[in-house]
Amino acid sequence: MDPYSAEGELINIHNHFHQGQYQEVVDFDVSSLSPENALPAQVLQLRARIALGQAEDVLAEVKGAAEPELIAVRALALRALGRDEEAVKTVEDLLAGNADAADNATVQVVAGTVLQAAGNSEEALALLGRHQGSLDAVALIVQIHLQQNRNDLAVKEVAAARRWAQDSLLVNLAESWVGLRLGGERYQQAFYVFEELAQAPATSSVRSLVAQAVAELHLGRTEEAQAALDQALKKEPGYAEAIANLLVLSVITGNGVDELTASLRKADEKHPFLVDLAEKSELFDKAATKFKAKVAA
Amino acid sequence: MNSSSGMLTKFESKSSRAKGIAFHPKRPWILVSLHSSTIQLWDYRMGTLIDRFEEHDGPVRGIDFHKTQPLFVSGGDDYKIKVWSYQTRRCLFTLNGHLDYVRTVFFHHELPWIVSASDDQTIRIWNWQNRSLLCTMTGHNHYAMCAQFHPKEDLVVSASLDQTVRVWDISGLRKKHSAPTSMSFEDQMSRRDANQTDMFGNTDAVVKFVLEGHDRGVNWVAFHPTMPLIVSAGDDRLIKLWRMSETKAWEVDTCRGHFQNASGCLFHPHQDLILSAGEDKTIRVWDLNKRTAVHTFKRENDRFWVIAAHPEINLFAAGHDNGVMVFKLERERPAAAVYQNTLFYLTKDKCVKSYDFQKNVESPTLLSLKKLGSPWVPPRTLSYNPAERSVLVTSPADGGTYELVNLPRDGSGAIEPSESKRGQGNSAIFVARNRFAVLNTSTQTIDIKDLSNNTTRSFKPPHGTTDIYFGGTGNLLIITPTAVHLYDIQQKKTTAELAVNGVKYVIWSNDGLYAALLSKHNVTIVTKTLEQVSTLHETIRIKSATWDDAGVLLYSTLNHVKYTLLNGDNGIVRTLDQTVYLVRVKGRNVYCLDRAAKPRILQIDPTEYRFKLALVKRNYEEMLHIIQTSSLVGQSIIAYLQKKGYPEIALQFVQDPATRFELAIECGNLDVAVEVAKQLDRPKLWTRLSTEALAHGNHSIVEMCYQKLKHFDKLSFLYLTTGDNTKLSRMAKIAEHRGDFTSRFQNALYLGDVEDRIQMFKEIDLYPLAYMTAKANGLEEECQSILEATGLSEDQISLPSFGEPLTPPKPVVPTFQANWPTKATSQSFFEKALLGQMEGLSLEEEPAAANGEAEEDGATKRDALGEAEEEEDAAGWDMGEDIVAEVDEGFVNVESGESGAGPASSEADLWARNSPLAVDHVAGGSFETAMQLLNRQVGAVNFAPLKPRFLEVYQASKTYLPASPGLPPLINYVRRTVEESDPRKVLPIIPRDLEYLASHDLQRGYDLMKGNKLEDGLKVFKGILHAVLVNAVGSAGEVAEAKKLIASASEYTVAMSIELERRALGPVDVVNRDPKLLKRSLELSAYFTIPKIEVPHRQLTLLNALNCAMRAKNYNSALSFANRMLANGGASKLLETARRTKAQCERNPHDAVEIEFDQFAEFEICAASHTPIYSGTAYEECAFDGAKYHTKYKGTVCVVCE
Repeated sequence: MDPYSAEGELINIHNHFHQGQYQEVVDFDVSSLSPENALPAQVLQLRARIALGQAEDVLAEVKGAAEPELIAVRALALRALGRDEEAVKTVEDLLAGNADAADNATVQVVAGTVLQAAGNSEEALALLGRHQGSLDAVALIVQIHLQQNRNDLAVKEVAAARRWAQDSLLVNLAESWVGLRLGGERYQQAFYVFEELAQAPATSSVRSLVAQAVAELHLGRTEEAQAALDQALKKEPGYAEAIANLLVLSVITGNGVDELTASLRKADEKHPFLVDLAEKSELFDKAATKFKAKVAA
Repeated sequence: MNSSSGMLTKFESKSSRAKGIAFHPKRPWILVSLHSSTIQLWDYRMGTLIDRFEEHDGPVRGIDFHKTQPLFVSGGDDYKIKVWSYQTRRCLFTLNGHLDYVRTVFFHHELPWIVSASDDQTIRIWNWQNRSLLCTMTGHNHYAMCAQFHPKEDLVVSASLDQTVRVWDISGLRKKHSAPTSMSFEDQMSRRDANQTDMFGNTDAVVKFVLEGHDRGVNWVAFHPTMPLIVSAGDDRLIKLWRMSETKAWEVDTCRGHFQNASGCLFHPHQDLILSAGEDKTIRVWDLNKRTAVHTFKRENDRFWVIAAHPEINLFAAGHDNGVMVFKLERERPAAAVYQNTLFYLTKDKCVKSYDFQKNVESPTLLSLKKLGSPWVPPRTLSYNPAERSVLVTSPADGGTYELVNLPRDGSGAIEPSESKRGQGNSAIFVARNRFAVLNTSTQTIDIKDLSNNTTRSFKPPHGTTDIYFGGTGNLLIITPTAVHLYDIQQKKTTAELAVNGVKYVIWSNDGLYAALLSKHNVTIVTKTLEQVSTLHETIRIKSATWDDAGVLLYSTLNHVKYTLLNGDNGIVRTLDQTVYLVRVKGRNVYCLDRAAKPRILQIDPTEYRFKLALVKRNYEEMLHIIQTSSLVGQSIIAYLQKKGYPEIALQFVQDPATRFELAIECGNLDVAVEVAKQLDRPKLWTRLSTEALAHGNHSIVEMCYQKLKHFDKLSFLYLTTGDNTKLSRMAKIAEHRGDFTSRFQNALYLGDVEDRIQMFKEIDLYPLAYMTAKANGLEEECQSILEATGLSEDQISLPSFGEPLTPPKPVVPTFQANWPTKATSQSFFEKALLGQMEGLSLEEEPAAANGEAEEDGATKRDALGEAEEEEDAAGWDMGEDIVAEVDEGFVNVESGESGAGPASSEADLWARNSPLAVDHVAGGSFETAMQLLNRQVGAVNFAPLKPRFLEVYQASKTYLPASPGLPPLINYVRRTVEESDPRKVLPIIPRDLEYLASHDLQRGYDLMKGNKLEDGLKVFKGILHAVLVNAVGSAGEVAEAKKLIASASEYTVAMSIELERRALGPVDVVNRDPKLLKRSLELSAYFTIPKIEVPHRQLTLLNALNCAMRAKNYNSALSFANRMLANGGASKLLETARRTKAQCERNPHDAVEIEFDQFAEFEICAASHTPIYSGTAYEECAFDGAKYHTKYKGTVCVVCE
């Protein structure tokens, strides 16, 4: 039986993880789990710790571990510390050295994450494509498709998953991601999913709040979005995505953004928003000069 | 067929066998006549015995209330018919005549008649006004068991143990006894003739029909209220239905089922049902049209003897061996659900309707659910799903069923649902947008189902679960008889539990933070995590509840609407004459459904609970507002405030001085206390005030009190302690006047005034004491004079040894000048506001209120938007299939066109493809194409000033959605076409759109203009131009608006830059000294008045020009400016100046400095050189903002929009 399914032992820790409740994952009592589920649970906890910014500790902990899952986690930790090349190499070595590793669902997901984060989308997709009924992998595939703007493929992937995993949290999430991309009535549906997560005390997390806010924003409900973001920032003042989205919101509502830009810079200097903005600013200057020259002539 | 468990018993009494029952038509009363000779009057709503009437001898079988008079009639085995007044609680008179037991008695519905049936085989009609027997109807040849008037026609129906039912025509009797006023002679003659025939006892009441069919005696018979139908019950255990026409009557059908004598039967007053009761201990309900059994209610031990119906409402009563039961056939609580501003409810004929709280209109029938459940069982609950616009309805029929149906977009008459999903379950509610929970009490399982009615998960609820309710997102509230559980669906476990008995309904507050648990007699308020906040008990049954937006729970009992605050404070809002089910509160309106499932609006006065709420929340502004705007008085509110420890607020409501004084003392408000004490001037009050003031350290008030009380000793001591010597000496003088030596002595002592003391002693001939005093203080001369006066020498007296002379300490600080540090009084904000700054605050109040309203408007607007969106959604939903198909096709194309996997172009790229507007390219990040577009469209070349706008638009275009852990966020693109999902039509969101610019930036620009902050203003207006340039325009209306905006901003830009140039010329004195500069300055000031800006602003420019011209003695120009100002009108102050100037200038209309400004010529201002372009000359125009230039500026950058 799938340990992540509705009746499985890991359902709760797994849901916590995907709802962004990393602290709950770390605090989860794993001692009562059956032995075959102990390792996946450990991997989840390690991933949660990496997400909580404890990549160093995790790295130290999994150093020298031989299980392919933990090697993959090591790569993830490396990647989180910005050592992309090492991370990719670790993954490649792992996959090359151990034929079974590529069929291990946990390895697929963790390694796939590393590969995608390092920009090797093709390889990530190839690896993840070997999954056998792993929703984690499906969610990841959906995200990669979306990142590549292949909405069509993402839709297909979700629709396929829906068929065999009706009520799963991850399918709902992935569908909402796609929904936010597609727009129209899908916005509202995505919003319902995120709202459900964000507003129930048992499932609420900063991430779901931000997701809710994003959905509101797309629906043009700026005030509600503001409320959700404020709530998220109250929970975790330094959460970069919350700040970034609040920034976008402020621009839309015509409020000042300088302070927010500064705090975003403080929270995450390499946030795509800032990188992108700097790039565009440069682009603008370059483009503008072209026209000036023409006039002068 | 249902078992007896479905019976909704409202009231039961224990007594001896009940033989007769009557409902009061208006009040919740029931009369029960007993086999034991007693008649009881019960209030079945409260469950109390109001009265007992015991004059009959032996069993009382017949009983009836009069429809309008405070009367009732009874007939007993003592052969007597008694008419009673329930007001005076006694028997008015007795009608004698029957020769055997009286079986039934009934009033006529309009005439002052009573019909009675007796074992003497007769039916008699009596007039209770003149207390006479009108008519005796003979014909039955066995006991007459029952006789009733027809509710409309002149008919009587009777049942007898002779196995027949007879219908009698009594129109003759009516003719005979109706008022003789409008009678013609012939009539009178015929009357007399009739009278004569009457002597033979035949024409007053004649048998019209004899209905034979029962095989045994007939116990009861009744007319249908509207149709020509008769129902009878007999000892042959049958219920027979008869129909009659003008000429004949016949048996229609028989209802078989009773297995013992059927003792009573009747037609349901409103529905096509027959009810019957029998000695087989059952009450049976039959379908009138099909004559099939609908319900059977069985009682263990008691045989039923009689059954009665309430004429108006859905209530029945049955008398049995051990008392009476009052019951309902069906639940009357309409199934309903509220979503935002809409109420969805089921009418009595099972139609789904909606009601709009904003427009106060009922929708037509949205959907008909006729087929739901069984025909005579109303649905129990309705749950609404806004996402799918579907409803989930449960019905108790067939052991509990539910049905899930989609609502059509707009109802137009009774529509059968096109498709519906059904299942077995006792409760069914939506728990998420695409999930609902179904409780099956018999198997004790809860299934979570998706919208296609497939079970996605299933679990066992806590033991004995009776009902389920929504428990906040992802949660269920599971109700058991003794507790409520908060159940997490995902984790499948109870997360919280609260022991509350018998919860029947759960009502969530609008913000979802609180829920009210209603049981029969208790309201328990809990948080969303199921922590108890408060609970209260009601002696009367609680029917329904709803939350105010402010967090006040309004609930209805059988006869009241009440409120409770979160802290448990409660009170009555209004009384109810009939039971209603509250669904919503808005302002002064309470919306509710009545028993007939009709929406109704009740007016309430929310002042009291709002005030209390404000008090609890310490929202003093609100309280102040309430106090000022509404009449909030009464003992209850004062007592409440006092009890809650707010005497200072209670003080504001009290007029009665005595109470005011009490409150003032309690809250330490001495000023008020003094004021009231002065008004009342009672010693008792002064005493209390003095004590209180002393405690506060306010000795000036203490002084006043003592003065009023004439407490001289206390006063003296007070002066001593405060060191007020002058007043002390005055006290001494007063004492002297009063001849009160003790007091005088004391004062002298306080003052250290030895002489006065000696003087006093001397006056009262206490020379030894005087001498002693003098001696002790070393006043030898005084000693001597005393000795002389008494004629004694020093040797003759022996003196004790003296200590040091006693002198009271001198006051160091003049304490009396000011009060002691007074005790901090509880001067709340509220009090201050009330006492001091009433006006100031009330001024502030109004804008706040206005804001509130505005916000409300906003909110409603948003709601409306939300609804609109949903409708769109729903529309999209219908089309869902098609869209998917399209996407698939598109997908195929893409695959063949582009290579297999590989990244595709993002939505941002699509924007650029979808739109010819520069702004959409900007949002998509394609700056270069945007610039090309702008260059082509308006000839823009200098893009540097547009950079902030470009980046602003770009920044607003994307959101960052955290997705899989460990990966960067997913980037999504914000659209202004929210409802659009076709990728060929999507367009990006634009921050600061036209509407925003017009309402915010433009206004800010105006303000800056008014505030004379021209540099900032210039920036703002240029910003507007840039923002409009890079903006999206949809409709023709928007185009016009954009044009207006551009024109206005451009005029202002020109105007401001002119004035700025003038100011840049130099300080006034420098300019004045240089004639060239002065000329230019005057010209510019004149040009400043040319651009077409708003009139009030033009006035400012004119005033400016006018002043400049005056200073330069250019009276002619000044005159023209003044004339223009006067022509414009506006603020009187400005006009006054203009008028004055005009008068001054008219005396000498000449210009000292010649300037290039022709007030009569038509011209525009060149935006670059700030010189006139006279009409007729050639000029260049900026393609974007329309700014005009001299031809020589052709090819340069427009200075206005840059």
